[in-house]
Amino acid sequence: MNKSRPKSARALIWAGVLLLLCTVTLPVLPYIWASDSEDITSLDTVENNPRANFWRNVRTGAAGYSAVGGPEANVLINNAGQNWRQFRMNLLAPYGSYLMGAVLFSIAAFYALRGPIRHRSDEPKELLLRFSVYQRVVHWFTAILFWILALTGLILLYGRLVLIPLFGSKGFALTASASKEAHNLFGPIFIVALFMLVIEYARDNFYRKGDLSWLIKGGGMLGKHASAGRFNFGEKIWFWLVLLLGTIISFSGIILDFANLNFDRNTLGLAHVLHGIAAILFISFSFGHIYLGTIGTKGTLRGMTTGYVEQTWAELHHDRWQPDDEMTPETGPLPAAQNE
Amino acid sequence: MSSTTTYEPELDFEKGADVLKRQIDWRVASYFSSCVHCGLCAEACQFYVETGDPRYTPIYKLEPLKKVWRQEYTFFGKMAKALGITKPLSEKDFVDWEDLVYDSCTLCARCSMVCPVGNDIAYMIRKEREGFSAAGFAPDELKGATKRAVETGSPMGVTWKALSAQIKHIERETGLPVPVDVKGAEYLGLLSSLEIMGFPEYISSLTRILHQAGVSWTLSSETFEATNSGIQIGDSKVAAELVERVLKVATDLEVSNIISPECGHAYTAIRWESANLIGKPIPFRVVHIVELLDELKRNGRISTTGKTDVKLTFHDPCNLVRKGGVVEEPRRLLNSVASDFVEMKQHGVMNWCCGGGGGVSANDRASGLRLAAFNIKKRQLDELGVNTLVTACANCRNILEEGIEHNEMDVEVVGLTELIAEYLDPPEAGESDSTS
Amino acid sequence: MSDFILGPFWNFAVIVFTAGVVGRIAMILMCGLSKDLAAARGSSVTGAVGTVARRFFPRKETVKSNRFHIIAGYMFHIGLLALLFFAAPHVQFLKNHLLGFGWPAMPHWAFILSAEIAFAGLILLWLRRVMHPVTRLLTRLDDHLAAWLTFFAMVTGCLALFESFAGLRVLHILGVELLMIYFPFSNLMHAFTFFLSRGTTGARAGRHGVKA
Ligand code: SF4
Ligand code: SF4
Repeated sequence: MNKSRPKSARALIWAGVLLLLCTVTLPVLPYIWASDSEDITSLDTVENNPRANFWRNVRTGAAGYSAVGGPEANVLINNAGQNWRQFRMNLLAPYGSYLMGAVLFSIAAFYALRGPIRHRSDEPKELLLRFSVYQRVVHWFTAILFWILALTGLILLYGRLVLIPLFGSKGFALTASASKEAHNLFGPIFIVALFMLVIEYARDNFYRKGDLSWLIKGGGMLGKHASAGRFNFGEKIWFWLVLLLGTIISFSGIILDFANLNFDRNTLGLAHVLHGIAAILFISFSFGHIYLGTIGTKGTLRGMTTGYVEQTWAELHHDRWQPDDEMTPETGPLPAAQNE
Repeated sequence: MSSTTTYEPELDFEKGADVLKRQIDWRVASYFSSCVHCGLCAEACQFYVETGDPRYTPIYKLEPLKKVWRQEYTFFGKMAKALGITKPLSEKDFVDWEDLVYDSCTLCARCSMVCPVGNDIAYMIRKEREGFSAAGFAPDELKGATKRAVETGSPMGVTWKALSAQIKHIERETGLPVPVDVKGAEYLGLLSSLEIMGFPEYISSLTRILHQAGVSWTLSSETFEATNSGIQIGDSKVAAELVERVLKVATDLEVSNIISPECGHAYTAIRWESANLIGKPIPFRVVHIVELLDELKRNGRISTTGKTDVKLTFHDPCNLVRKGGVVEEPRRLLNSVASDFVEMKQHGVMNWCCGGGGGVSANDRASGLRLAAFNIKKRQLDELGVNTLVTACANCRNILEEGIEHNEMDVEVVGLTELIAEYLDPPEAGESDSTS
Repeated sequence: MSDFILGPFWNFAVIVFTAGVVGRIAMILMCGLSKDLAAARGSSVTGAVGTVARRFFPRKETVKSNRFHIIAGYMFHIGLLALLFFAAPHVQFLKNHLLGFGWPAMPHWAFILSAEIAFAGLILLWLRRVMHPVTRLLTRLDDHLAAWLTFFAMVTGCLALFESFAGLRVLHILGVELLMIYFPFSNLMHAFTFFLSRGTTGARAGRHGVKA
């Protein structure tokens, strides 16, 4: 029972190193971008109306001369910004809200029709350790940051539409400013959390035999029992989605967070598009995750709060899972043992 | 001072609560004010480490004392108590915490070494026991031992008759006189009942070593017991009474030094607590036998020959290392008679307790817990792969042997004094050929 | 409202904080301590100083089992102290209103880095507090209030950083005021009393010849 938490500690150390690296070296990256930004468009075609030609040229984002330094400082009008704005207001915002709304609606409908999935609950309850302290801490660390970022991000995207009518534009200015600062501040911490999460959970989330048949049986939601290990295929898919979407969000987020550091508009625009799409998808999937982890499946949440799940719950949802005895010392005894 | 001759513990909640309140000095108050509930002390306590039960977190064992502090010395605590939001200390607190205070704490003070804000938790548990014993909430065996110590002079009821029989036997065996009641001797020797009954080798070793060193010493037929049940159960009155008996014979015999035997808490009692218990400095120098041997060895008054090449290790008695700073002395001694002395990973001031200190060894209902706590010792020994374990405390020795037997391990426990005596040069009469 | 927060309430908070901290320490010392009459084996002064210094670092024997906590604890405390004493507005404030002299503040990137380290540490510590069976058992409302108030003061401080909105700055000051008022009544007091607890333990151990 000798205790050591080398793995968790190592991950934490790495997380710290990563945070340091991110914050120290990232400001340097923009210079690399800046160096190969687009060439200056030449002004060699002269048409009938020099003035019209001039403005036509300007609209293509042509560069001229400016005493102000910095990327695109010599470009008078850049359509990319306008294009981005249109994408954001006309596509991302409305379709994002449709998607999130649809997901919420289907979850509500599913709950109404099917109700929560219950396991047999025997008395006295026999408990199994599913998540160690460190695993739970890392999960909630990520979750808390995810929600801070999701909320502030949604405020930035939908604030004008939803909040201005509520608080008026003056109040919104404050909220928006605060949201932006908070979003920028907690973003890098989320990257660290994500890193810790992936390191800690990857091991049990690789594809194993039997996962496909779990999927075919609809994860047991279609009536038939679906067999699974510590994590079922659904959870595994969610894990890899978190990694994929999280990575996209992280990288694009870093670019946006350090926007003042010589990124050109196209890079920023692209980063913004990716960031927005990935975030909306991430939030939508998270609704499903939260539903299944809380009211959707009875007895799941306690695994992530106390660390323990009921034996009967495990039999129903994760029958092929063999609890890891070595995890016990780190987390304390089974609650039952405390009363001996 | 009038001497107590009986000890009749009674259930008396009011008295216990009152005594508990009086335990709070500024040291305790600063500890409770500083505690940030970080839980780091848990990992220092072998009862937590081996059971994983959070109730065995050192600072948690102090909840009753903390409750008193909170309700008497803090703003919100006082207010909450006045408004009836929190319940005042009740008998239930004593009932619920008795096992934590006595069974799951050996007063080893390992937790006191790690707390980031510097809390000396063992100091507080020792104080908390004052309240518990005053209220009558203490394990029956400890009460019994205390009663016997007060009434017969020995917690195990060992009488002078039994000791003098042992002495006769030892004198025959060693061919040396064991000085008794010698007025004007330099040193007063003390013993623990456990040594008299279980490890009389200590007495013969002591006799041989001190004889060779030419130390003038004596035992007292009136008070020979060094252990102090009052300290273990947490009854300062009893503790003072027992200490005074020792000081009385020391005065009567006109000695200037007192030797604590191979016993951890006896050393703490006489060396560190005695003056504070009687309220004035004591006119004697108190040394643990290990300190004395080291001193004699370094002064060239005892010499040894040869070394054992058996691989062995040393178990530090908590009271020596964490309450008396006696860390180097036993190591110097050991290295002088052993060529293959290896250290356990955590040794010296961070050693792990045997699991039976602070009265836990006497407490029957704690035996399961004690054996669980011993597991950490077992792992330490297994790691080193030694078959000989040296220590300098009869109580540790007893508990270690119990654990070794229970786990069917092949380890022999030896007292340091005996080991030194075995290599004396020239060997004194008796065991001259027993060295190997 | 903001006049009240910046004016009278600020003064109130300062008074409660100062008087509270001084009062708390006085109350502790007034509990008394009987003199140690046993012959000393070492110096209590050296012991006290040594222990106060040594407990800034974990004992190497305990590092392995407490690694998570130690790292998160350092992250939070170092980050917080850096913010507290080296954030430009704080240096300015201390110079103008308290000390009369200043020192170089840290650059913006260092501020952000400190804030991020401190936040990560605080959240991780708080999560461990609610997840670990030991801290779960020890934790009281006080610990949560202390953590949340600190979080609030820190968050509002970071939001106010660019001082684009006076409102955010006022919010930060409100957070700090609440923290200051709560401080003397809570175990946030450890920021001061750790000197006492480490010192007294060290002094006693020093007398006994123990390096605690
Ligand atoms: S280690 Fe110290 S501060 Fe932490 S819980 Fe234990 S006594 Fe309190
Ligand atoms: S003194 Fe020893 S046994 Fe008692 S609580 Fe502290 S570490 Fe545990």
